[in-house]
Amino acid sequence: MITASSRRRGPGLAWFAAPAILLVSVFFLVPFLANAVFAFVQWTGYSDTIRWTGLTNFSLLGQLGILGHAIRVTIVYAVITMTVQNGVGLALATALQQTNRVNTVFRSIFFVPVLMSPLAAGYIWSAVLSPDGPANDFLSAVLPGSVHYAYLGHSVSALITVACVDAWKWSGLATLVYIAGLNRIPAQLVDAARIDGAGTWRRFWSVKFPLLAPAVTFNVVITLVGAFSALDVVFATTSGGPGDATTLLNVALYTQYGQSYFGQASALGLVVTGLVVLTAVPLIGWLRRREVPM
Amino acid sequence: MTAVRVRYLLLSLFAIPWIVLPFWLLIINSVKSEGEAGVLSVGLPSSWHAATNYATVVHQGRYLTGLGNSLLIAVPSIVLVLGLGSMAAWAYARSPRRSLRLTYYLSVLSIVLPPAIIPTVYTLTQLGLNGSRIGYLLTVVGTRLGMVIFLCTGFVRTLPVDWEEAAQLDGAGRWQIYRRIVLPLLAPALFTGAILLVINVWNDFFFALFLLQGPGRATLPLTLYQFASSSAYGLRWNLVFAHVILTSLPLLVAYIIMQRRVLSGLTEGGTTG
Repeated sequence: MITASSRRRGPGLAWFAAPAILLVSVFFLVPFLANAVFAFVQWTGYSDTIRWTGLTNFSLLGQLGILGHAIRVTIVYAVITMTVQNGVGLALATALQQTNRVNTVFRSIFFVPVLMSPLAAGYIWSAVLSPDGPANDFLSAVLPGSVHYAYLGHSVSALITVACVDAWKWSGLATLVYIAGLNRIPAQLVDAARIDGAGTWRRFWSVKFPLLAPAVTFNVVITLVGAFSALDVVFATTSGGPGDATTLLNVALYTQYGQSYFGQASALGLVVTGLVVLTAVPLIGWLRRREVPM
Repeated sequence: MTAVRVRYLLLSLFAIPWIVLPFWLLIINSVKSEGEAGVLSVGLPSSWHAATNYATVVHQGRYLTGLGNSLLIAVPSIVLVLGLGSMAAWAYARSPRRSLRLTYYLSVLSIVLPPAIIPTVYTLTQLGLNGSRIGYLLTVVGTRLGMVIFLCTGFVRTLPVDWEEAAQLDGAGRWQIYRRIVLPLLAPALFTGAILLVINVWNDFFFALFLLQGPGRATLPLTLYQFASSSAYGLRWNLVFAHVILTSLPLLVAYIIMQRRVLSGLTEGGTTG
């Protein structure tokens, strides 16, 4: 509702947004738009000239085997992180939905990794999972023979491990978002399903899960988007290796930047943006359609 | 056994590898000697080296430099984001101007879209701020404002406009209305925003890696990374772990003091889209 008085104070009120608009423009929007230009210019630390080269940056990265590989690795990483984080988050949220003393203790314990830096998470888990670490010690105790598997030393297991460490760090937050979503579901609906004879499993998938759609939308999109621009955990664990098995787009970007290939680094940055836009927009639309109006 | 007991048993069994083991390994090895920590066992140390390990981290790991820089960046940037974000949110929620609506959507987009780091370095170079703490701080503010604007605009829209109009009729200026009425009412949304910002800004490594230059300007995540990856300390798990603990300590202490409010702020604040 727009009253006469609010219309009168309109122009002056806009000034309250001015500092935020200025800072968002200079430090987010302008760089964001400039990236779409920088990706198509030849720009290195070895020459003073910056000139338009079209798709050369992309084709160079493609010829070096960096681009396609980094895109594949990033997508696999993001999908694993998203699945593990949301699976664990949803399971913990279902178990801890009721607010009581014991659940509160569990909630606060499972939240602690959220406070750690992703680097710290990387160092901790590379110790737990080192060939002589406690994870293998446990396996050696329960399995015949002694296990000294290098989880971070083989291409496939390294990528899975690093993605899981990322998921570990953020699962506690996903749990809280899902608890909030579950608490928003009217208790009458769940009770009605119970009276109609629906079991625990059926009540979860047929009643709670569809009504949880806003929380699922939020968590899935935020995890995928976050994982597309991941770098920290990799820096603390594998540095992109073994070989280039965990060289995510942003890890490749840092390497190009470190070698002063700024145009190529920008091209990789634009690919990250492209992945985010291509995934986030249709996913938000698709998940929104599944949302049940309440 | 009742279903509740089975649930608590399963949760405890899950918590052992998920939380207890990694944190126990971290804490216990941070007080061992270098040789003993190298084995990465979960046993108690045969001799305690807590004092020497932590002292080494504080000196060689440049912990105090990192702590100082982290505080110097986190505190002002979070205050700025909350202040400027809530001011903008008030304008976005109450002003009928169309041009403002566009800037609102552009700000909110920054929550989802990844930051363009190379052009940010370029922009800061043009402004003469590349590698400096102030350039990093302003980038942190500019890229995090969207989140607080989003949280607060939604919140202001749910508030009745009556109080603001009553204050206006009583002759209060806009600044007074914001400061005395809007800001106090926004407290729950700002608290939720503050928690997310503290976690996000304190642990930021990506922006710091690109935007801060020189050892004197490094924040805690940077000093941790430099300490751990300098070849001399790469495998000294006792020291790496001691640095991890010291780096995480400020947030952990704050969390232990106010964990109830943090968890309820995140479950009840508007984090669901």
